Amino acid sequence: MNKNEQQQKMRETAARLLDAGEAAYVIGFGETRFPEKTSILFAHNAEEADRFVWNDACVQSLAKYLLEDRFADYRVGIFARGCESRAINRMIKDNQFKRDHVHILGIPCEGVNAKRCASCAVHNPVVYDELLWDAVPEPNPETARFARAEAVEAMGPEERYAYWSDVYSRCIRCYACRQACPVCSCRECYVDMDRQGFQGKRHSVSDNQTFGVTRAFHVADRCIECGECERVCPMGLPILGQTQKIIKDITQLSGDYQAGMNAEDGNFLGAFDLDDKDDFM
Amino acid sequence: MSKIGVFVCHCGTNISSVVDVYKVAEAAAQMPGVSYAAEYKYMCSEPGQQMILDAIKEHGLNRIVIAACSPRMHETTFRKMLKKSKINEYLLEIANIREQDAWVHPPGEEATEKAIDLVRMAVAKVAKNEPLKSSLIPITKKALVVGGGIAGIQAALDIADAGHEVVLLEREPSIGGRMVMLDKTFPTLDCSACISTPKMVDVSAHPNIKLLTYAEVAAVKGYIGNFTVTIRQKAKYVNQDICTGCGICEDKCPKKVTSEFNKGLSDRPAIYKLFPQAVPAKPVIDRETCLMLQNGKCGICAKVCPVEGCIDYEAKDVEYDEDFGAVILATGYKLVDWGGMYDEYGAGRYPDVIDGLTFERLVNASGPTEGHIQRPSDGKEPKTVVIVKCVGSRDPKKGKPYCSRACCMYAAKHAHQILDKIHGARVFIFYIDVRTPGKNYEEFYDQTRKDGAVYVRGRVSRIYSDGEGLVCQGEDTLLNKQVRVKADLVVLETAMEPNEGAGELTGLFGASRDVNGWIQEAHPKLRPVETQVGGVFLAGACQGPKDIPDTVAQASAAAAKVIGLLNQDEMETSPMIAAIDESKCSGCGACEPICPYRAITLETIRSREGRFTNAERVIAKVNAGLCQGCGACTVACRTGAIDLLGFRNAQILTEVDALWQ
Repeated sequence: MNKNEQQQKMRETAARLLDAGEAAYVIGFGETRFPEKTSILFAHNAEEADRFVWNDACVQSLAKYLLEDRFADYRVGIFARGCESRAINRMIKDNQFKRDHVHILGIPCEGVNAKRCASCAVHNPVVYDELLWDAVPEPNPETARFARAEAVEAMGPEERYAYWSDVYSRCIRCYACRQACPVCSCRECYVDMDRQGFQGKRHSVSDNQTFGVTRAFHVADRCIECGECERVCPMGLPILGQTQKIIKDITQLSGDYQAGMNAEDGNFLGAFDLDDKDDFM
Repeated sequence: MSKIGVFVCHCGTNISSVVDVYKVAEAAAQMPGVSYAAEYKYMCSEPGQQMILDAIKEHGLNRIVIAACSPRMHETTFRKMLKKSKINEYLLEIANIREQDAWVHPPGEEATEKAIDLVRMAVAKVAKNEPLKSSLIPITKKALVVGGGIAGIQAALDIADAGHEVVLLEREPSIGGRMVMLDKTFPTLDCSACISTPKMVDVSAHPNIKLLTYAEVAAVKGYIGNFTVTIRQKAKYVNQDICTGCGICEDKCPKKVTSEFNKGLSDRPAIYKLFPQAVPAKPVIDRETCLMLQNGKCGICAKVCPVEGCIDYEAKDVEYDEDFGAVILATGYKLVDWGGMYDEYGAGRYPDVIDGLTFERLVNASGPTEGHIQRPSDGKEPKTVVIVKCVGSRDPKKGKPYCSRACCMYAAKHAHQILDKIHGARVFIFYIDVRTPGKNYEEFYDQTRKDGAVYVRGRVSRIYSDGEGLVCQGEDTLLNKQVRVKADLVVLETAMEPNEGAGELTGLFGASRDVNGWIQEAHPKLRPVETQVGGVFLAGACQGPKDIPDTVAQASAAAAKVIGLLNQDEMETSPMIAAIDESKCSGCGACEPICPYRAITLETIRSREGRFTNAERVIAKVNAGLCQGCGACTVACRTGAIDLLGFRNAQILTEVDALWQ
């Protein structure tokens, strides 16, 4: 099935779902005036569903929009690739909504025109109500997943410090990364609190670094590597690479580690088990 | 508006000989929020406390800082003192200028400066403290003792004698544990069964003790004073109420399996008592080996049983809940599986290389050989016996890093018994050290050497068969020479390790274990019979290798703690526990698995969330009875929705800030 046929299938499925009243609306991609850009489209009826598009410009992750209506008593439909499906699993695990709240239209995806797709390890949705077309082959595991983390590891300590200092000297603390992150589900983010003594409000490298490191650790063991943080960063900072370094460390401790592959696994960094590796002790 | 009083203690000369306490009081008087500062020789003394109370009245103080010894020492003293004033007892901070300053620094300016810093931090924190109130929780006046070895038996008897109800739970068909397997006990050589079986009978006869054998703990809920334990009573298939214990079924049972109690030296039937003096003295059917229960073909025991309806093949395991106020874990030890560790000792290929507990059964008058020492391979009486100590103990590479404590003494006892029972026998004991730190222990060891036991200092490197018999090869490190001893029997005094399943059980109660799997005591010196979980105590070898006298002493100690707890009708809980800000909690549940006391549960509530007026959402809840105030959850919470009362993040950060002012 080519992308055009797939797009047709998406429109039809969403229309059917909306006609049957199984979801209040379906979240997907819509057209913009620019061929290289798409927007988020919330289709409430079959007519609107006919405007869904599916092409290489569908670079946004749709999952975060689910949090908008997490308390609603109606169901919401969503198109989900590997990345979106893992985000949904994380949201369910984090008790943001119940599995039944979403109707997941699984769309296997071999990548769009987004930077994150280069290190994508999961092409097919891991949770769905229906799969719109056949599963695609998964990428060769680990080929590119940690390439950027390895590049940072290869630097010496001083070079590495200089590298991150440079990155965080450019951070403008707009918190777009947090806003876009599908696993950032706190009701009130610590950076917005006025009495967080450890997180300075100044625009300085050290306060920015504190923010960067804290943010990375807050999401590290739940990060599904969708790269939204990096995509929305107006300064183009390589922050997914930073989180991936922590994920790589987790992988070394735990064997294979991919967050959001199911809705049951707990937080690796927040769990304790007598069988945990403790070679460092 | 805070009106803080700072009271600097000399502690005799403990503090004042190093720190200029006058200068500290002077500096404190200038700190923000401080209305009054004074020093005194002994703040904890009666006049010292009175001085503080007077100052509170006179200067209208509303928060107190005491610069003195560690809060672990006198925080409670001063809290009690504040109960006599109008000030809430949690509006108190202790600046530890003794252990953290005077005792660890030389006298001089710097020590005084540090004391001032410590006081400044305490002043900053106390200004942020908030009044806290403790609550009362009721106590169920019944204790559960898990494990029916000598530790559990002793603890159960002591608690029952004090007038409290006890449930003694044992997973084997009889209580008695390891002690009843032993022949004689060092250093007095009194018969182990003769001194333990009367206690077993006492347990079964005691009106305050309910004995549950063949039973396990399936689940635990609750907290100190209020545990609900799910007990799984395994089906015994023999109606214990009407069975007379005549033993005909055991004689007639056609199925024979290896006896665990006799360490494989004999067989037992599938319907069996663990040993002749078992308590309760009634058999159970081992469902894994019973022909009737496995294949439905046999039923002989039911046919020969003189009591109608006594044998019930349809019996099922039963689970039920029972409430307890306190728990003692007394799960004991087992010997390591040395075969898997020491290939050079034959790894179990030679039947005449046995462990110490097997030897106990071999030399036991009620054992399979009726006390005649006969080697397992051919039943012959061994003339030369080699005893190897520290097999698996003190061997971090292959076995356990720790010393198993009892082996030096029972090795000497084994040697004594061999020399006593076998005329002309020779005994060689390979050892690393001989450790005899107990009453009359050294004397016993001395006597064994006089009896003729030959102590060889060194480890055995290899045990092999030369075709005729076993050869033990090792280095005599005193002679600096390799020695070989031809042995008819080799007894390996192997390491103790935590009993099967002790880890899971400890986990059910939320208690923790050390690196070797032994249950962790709350404090190695000052709280040796308590676990970190309130209301859960420990006794005996489950805490670490122990001999019988130490085990019994510890069991009585644990019982005393339980009696103290159960004597109260209700207890005060510490208000310094985790508190959740529901408006911030996103219900992600990161805190839940991290709580070592399982005090956090997730609950669903309804609240207004923007345009959703009756939204359903998940939040975390803290059980005040279970929470011990450790603060692990506060670290897990990304949004800071959990805070530890008395140690709020904001309070601690204020303290840190004060250090840099």
